Parts: sequence; structure tokens; C-alpha cells
Amino acid sequence: MKLKNILMAVVAMTSLMVASGAVQANEHGVALKHAEIDVTDQEQLRRGLTVFTDVCMGCHSAKYITYKGLMDYPELSLSREAVDELRGEHPLTAGLITDLSPEDAKVSYGKVPPDLSVIANARRGGPDYIYSVLTGFEHDPAGKVPDGNFNEYFPGNRIAMPDPLGWLDHDEADTAELEAQAQDVAAFLAFIADPHQNERRIIGCWVLGFLVVLTLVLYLLKKSVWSDVKH
Amino acid sequence: MTDQADQSRRNFLYVAAGGMGAVAAGATIVPFIGSMMPAADTLAAAKTEFDVATVEPGQLVVIQWQGKPVFVVHRTEELLKQVDGHDEMLKDPNSEAIEAVSAEWMTPENRKYRAIKPEYLIVVASCTHLRWIPLFKQTAGRKGWGDSVPEDWPGGWHCPCHGSLYDISARVINGSPAPHNLHLMPYKYMTDTKVVIG
Amino acid sequence: MLEKMMKTRLFAWIDERTGAEAIIKSQLTEYQVPKNLNYMWNFGSLALLVLTLQILTGIFLAMYYKPSAALTYGGYTVAFDSVERIMRDVNFGWLIRYMHAVGASAFFVVVYMHIARGMYYGSYKGPRELLWIIGVVILLIMQGAAFFGYLLPWGQMSFWGATVITNLFGALPVLGEYLQQLLRGGFAVGDPTLNRFFSLHYLFPLLLAAIVGGHIHALHVVHSNNPEGIDVHEGQGTIPFHPYYTIKDAFGVAVFLLFYCYVVFFNPQMGGYFIEVDNYVPANNLQTPAHIAPVWYLTPWYTILRSFESKLLGVLAMGASLAILFLLPFLDRSKVRSSRYRPVYRQMVILFFITVIVLGYCGHSAPTPTLKLVGQIATTYYFAFFLLLPFLPKFEKTKNVPDHI
Repeated sequence: MKLKNILMAVVAMTSLMVASGAVQANEHGVALKHAEIDVTDQEQLRRGLTVFTDVCMGCHSAKYITYKGLMDYPELSLSREAVDELRGEHPLTAGLITDLSPEDAKVSYGKVPPDLSVIANARRGGPDYIYSVLTGFEHDPAGKVPDGNFNEYFPGNRIAMPDPLGWLDHDEADTAELEAQAQDVAAFLAFIADPHQNERRIIGCWVLGFLVVLTLVLYLLKKSVWSDVKH
Repeated sequence: MTDQADQSRRNFLYVAAGGMGAVAAGATIVPFIGSMMPAADTLAAAKTEFDVATVEPGQLVVIQWQGKPVFVVHRTEELLKQVDGHDEMLKDPNSEAIEAVSAEWMTPENRKYRAIKPEYLIVVASCTHLRWIPLFKQTAGRKGWGDSVPEDWPGGWHCPCHGSLYDISARVINGSPAPHNLHLMPYKYMTDTKVVIG
Repeated sequence: MLEKMMKTRLFAWIDERTGAEAIIKSQLTEYQVPKNLNYMWNFGSLALLVLTLQILTGIFLAMYYKPSAALTYGGYTVAFDSVERIMRDVNFGWLIRYMHAVGASAFFVVVYMHIARGMYYGSYKGPRELLWIIGVVILLIMQGAAFFGYLLPWGQMSFWGATVITNLFGALPVLGEYLQQLLRGGFAVGDPTLNRFFSLHYLFPLLLAAIVGGHIHALHVVHSNNPEGIDVHEGQGTIPFHPYYTIKDAFGVAVFLLFYCYVVFFNPQMGGYFIEVDNYVPANNLQTPAHIAPVWYLTPWYTILRSFESKLLGVLAMGASLAILFLLPFLDRSKVRSSRYRPVYRQMVILFFITVIVLGYCGHSAPTPTLKLVGQIATTYYFAFFLLLPFLPKFEKTKNVPDHI
């Protein structure tokens, strides 16, 4: 009886925690847009990498991902030729580091652009947040923040990063393409934030499957052994 | 108390639980012991890329490979000539004792050069005696080297630790405490001058 | 199986030199436990399991972790880099690190359940007062170990959490500033702090292991309480620990591992509760995160701290809220142990559990005037619960306690 109450309380608390975790994604007041991403989709991750190297890496780095990693992670498995083309003179073991020096960045944008290696974990909402910010550039309704620095989803709305994909005033026809680019790069960043996540989930399925059987066996054994005890 | 059938069922459950517990414990050990093996970034450094064109003729450069020093020597025509004519002084002129890694490209002709391209000798820079780094004393004869080398010095390396001597192809000379020629490591040319070691 | 093992010659050889047989008999096969313990009694063995897992994973993490706040490229530090190296390059490093991070939270879940059980069924009451006191010491050391460990990744929450907590010591009169510098090893949280916290984070679990040994020893002297809260004598309603409770504990372990592994493999950040979002941002001493809250298991005490306008009072209240746990066995003067036969205490203790959850919620959320008031009311009840206990027997009519299980 008591046990049931307690278990109920545990279940209630757990669901409360999970629920509030989900709500947390919307902490900035604006509901984030949902990014359609799949971190097991090689095509999407490679497209995301291209957006990253062509656009983001102009200013941002992802130092924890090496050129060699682009070949080695099975989710990306780029060819040596493709990687050689990307890296130019950089060694294989170097991280994806921008050519923009922190000093220059400070002069141009007022702050050093953050490294993006773990950005998907470091922002509430993760990939949804990245996607929303990239497609969230608007004209400031109050007219105070200059165009390109007003973002609907950025906390405080004033963002130092100038509209990287050219979302503001884009052609209606390009909407789908720009949204796809933003989602692809969100997928790529979600992947590199925890590059063993797919492996982890696969191993996890096996572990949980094993544990379910073990739990069942131990339950039957416990019942069998305890049948000796008279109540 | 339990009857016979219950008892055997219970025994089966004991064995099943014990077996699964052992499997679980065994599977748990794998990641822990595995974590002590070299990490991915350590393994990534297992190969060293090097452009031999950066070595001047006659020059010796020490580079690192897997945390060990490696000699890269650009042998001039003159130095290449020093390879011949002293086979009777060598313990193992054809490197037969340690040829495993180089068997692929070690043709009878370049056996004495111990290199894919004779002009670039690439060897592990550790004396096979006690792993000191030998000194490069490339010119033949005692001139300039004093009595650290014998009168009939063919040019090569001298290990200051216990006086081991190697010729200009890093083959060990009779009378040295070192048992073997300096070791070769696997390497290959990616382009004309770019070498991948390891 | 154990019986067979004990008949071998090897065992006889060992027994002759260690007295192993007598130990096994007195601690396992002939150690008497009430037969009516419910599943709430499983959390003790689970706590021991999690402690073992934490020490094991910790030892392997320490092989790669580097406690240095030296800056590296991109605003990161050597410490942050080494954690990311564990997550990316070390074989199974991601698994070991997530096990450790989730294990910290799991440890508190299990221990809080263990404490709640002890409070509900009156396990702290005589003759188990010292057992309870050792348990409170374990809780304090655990909180210390968790706090030290949280600094190590050197993220924003690590840094600012440590800054806030070490600052608390500064609020104490006379010795405050001295204590604060002693903890930090400098004027602010920095490289020396990180180094000493790593050292202490390695030390504390070993202390814990030793004290847990004392906790179990004390338990085996006074024996387990039970849901009825009555004294049980050998042969009357008791069964040997082995095989009955070893099997039951093993089953509990399997159920626990199901939850634990689910989180480790599928949701290791637990929506920012187990590993906070801001801790993926490298520590920056020039910029505070938008919202600082300690990890969930410390939030109840954080709310008590925040409920007072004066910093000194807050610190003292927080200290008192933990210290008062030591006094619980002496504040409760009722003859009856279990809540089953104490209607008023039962209401009070359930309200106390709810209060702690409310305190935790308040501490986790950004402060608003409403939440602050709720936090203050909860804080008041937290202390009222303890302070009312001595007077409870005066008006509580306990139910009839059975004389055997």
C-alpha cells in the first residue's frame, strides 16, 4: 500500500521533471520553431557540414571536431580527397578553426564569436534554437535595432551575428532552401556536440533489452525463494 | 516447503541469474579496460606526414613519430658512395635480422641503401643497444671526429653511450655493443616528396 | 552456491587465517532481518551500488581529466578540453563520463529515498540514533563531494556555482574571509581552487567508503527497523539476510539499473537537470549566466538560503537546516516508531517531504516574489517540523502497536 503511494509519487515527480524539461526549451518567451533533423542521416549531416564550412566557419570554429574526425565518424565518413580539399594546408589532426582572428572579430562584431563544438548542448532548445535563430532575422518592429541585428529568437533580440544565411528580405521562392540549410546545419551541430550519440543509443538498446530479461529472471527467482517465507 | 519441480525451477533461475550477472559484469569491464587503450587523438598521431624536400642535401633532420625521434637524412651523391666497400665490417649488411617492416620494398639493389629513395634515409633514431640517440658523423675518416671513431671510419653514426657505430645506411659496425642496425619503420611516399611514416 | 563454496578446501585454508566463515555467518547467512521489510528498504543497497559505480568511473576519468584553468583556443580551458577529449577521443570515455554524471544524481535520488524511508518508519529512533547520525555525516560528505565534482568541467555553472557557495563562507563573522580564501586559494575562484577541488573530490568518496563501512557495522549491531517499527527478536518474524535479502536486493539492483541505464544511454543530460545547459559554456569570470541555480539535489537548501534578506542569516539557516538532522532522534520523543501507528506524525512527515520538493522547485526556478514567499513558507515548515516534534507526544494519540510481525 505504502509502496504504491511512494511509487506513484516517484512516477509523478519523474514526469514532472521531464515535462518541465520540455517546457524549458521555450524559456526566452518565444516558442522555438521545430527543426526537422536526423543525426543518423549522412546526407543531411554532410549538407550541414557544407553550410558550416562555407558560412559559419567564416567567423566560428568547432575546434573539437578535427578534419580526421570528418573521415572517421561513420555518420560523416568523408573521403580523404574531400577532406584534403577542405583542409588546405591545415594538418589532418587540426580542429575546424576559422581564419578570422579573435582580435579582428572583436573589431568587426564587438565580440568573439563562440566556438560551435558543443553549442547544441549549450543552448536551451539545442538544434531547434539554432534553426530558429538562423531563420529569425526580422526588421525591428520598434525600429531601434539595425537590420541584420534584430532576431526574434535571440534572448534580448539584439544579436551581434549578422544574418548569415541572408534570411532577412529573402525571396519567397528561397524560403524552403534557406530553411533546409538552417536545419541541415542544426543537424550537423547537434551531431558534433556529442559525436558518439548514435553509437550510444544503439548500445543502450542492447543494454536495456538485456536488463529487462535480467530483471524478469531476478523477479521470478525472488518470488521462488521468498515462497518459503510464511506471512 | 517446495516440491521437486519447484526446486529444479529455482535452481534453473539461480543459474540463469548467475550467468546473466557474470555476462553483465564481463560486459561492464570492457569499456573500462578499453578506456585505458590509446585514445583516438593519440592514435591519430600514430602517423607522421613529412615533406622530405625540406631537408637540404647532406642535412640530417630529427622528426617525431609516435613520440620517438626519427632521422631523415638527405644523402648526397658523395654520401651515397660511402655505402659501398665495407661490408666485411658490418654485422648484418643485408639487414636480415630486422627486415620485417621493409620486406615489401627492400629489393636486392636498394638493400645497401635501406631506403625507398636512396637519397632519403629514414630510420628510427634510437641506438639498438640502449636507445640513445646516435651522433651524425657523416664524413669518412677520422678527420674532425677524433678517436671516437676508428681509423677506417666509413662515415655514419656514433652512439656516445657505449660507442656503437653505424655506417651511412645506419647498419651496425662489428665490435659495437648494439645488436642490430637502426630500425626502419613502415613509410610510403604519398607524392614525390611527401612521406607518411607509420 | 555459497554453501558449496564454503565446503571447499581453499575456503577452509582462507577461513583458518581470516575467520571468514564466522564473518559470513554473522553478517549474511545467520544475520537476522525482519521478514516484513518492503521495497523501500532496497535503497540502502542501491546507495552502496551507486557509490561503487561512482568510485570506479571516477578512477578511470581521473586517468584523462586535467585540473587546469589555463586558457586554450576559443575561450576554453585545459580542464574543459580534457572533459571533451574524454567525450570524443577516449575509448568509451562518453560512457564512463555519462555514467559518472548521471550517477551523481542517481546517488542523491537513492539516498533521499533512503532517508525518507528512515523518517517515515522512524528508523532514526532508539536504539538506532548513532546509525542515523552516521547517515547524516554521509549525506554531508556526499554533498561536499558533489559540489567539488561539479567544479571540475569548468563550465559556467561550475564556476559560478563555486563562486556563490564559497562566497557564503565569506558571510560568516570574523573567520568568514579567511575561510573563503582558504577554500579558494586566491581572491576569486580560479586555477588553485580547481586543483584543490579535484584533490578533495578524489578524497571524499574514499572517506565515504570508510564511513559507509561504519554505517553498515552500526546497522548490523542494532539490526534493521521494519515497517511496523517494532522490536523483533530472533526466531520471531526474522529471516536470514542470505539468501532472502540478497536476492531481493539483486532484484532491486536490476530495476534500478533499468532506470539508470535508460538515462545514461538515452537522456544523459536529463533535460538540463543532470548536466546543466550552461555548463557546456566554458567558464567566464567576466560574464554570469542568465540564471544561476545549483544542481537539483542542492536546490532545497539553496531556497532556505535565499529565504532570508540577510546573507548571514541565510547561511546560518542553511547550516541549521542540515545540522538539525543530527538532532532528529533526540527531538522525537514518541515511544512509537512507525508512521503507521502515528496519525499526526504521518501527516507531518508527508507534508515535510512535500515541503522539501517545494523547496527544491523554488530553488531551481528564477526568483519571483510569489516563489520567494512560497519558499519562505516552506522554510518555516521545514524548521517547524523538527521543532514541533518534542511536543507531539502531548497531543498525538498513537494507535495500538502489534506485539509481533
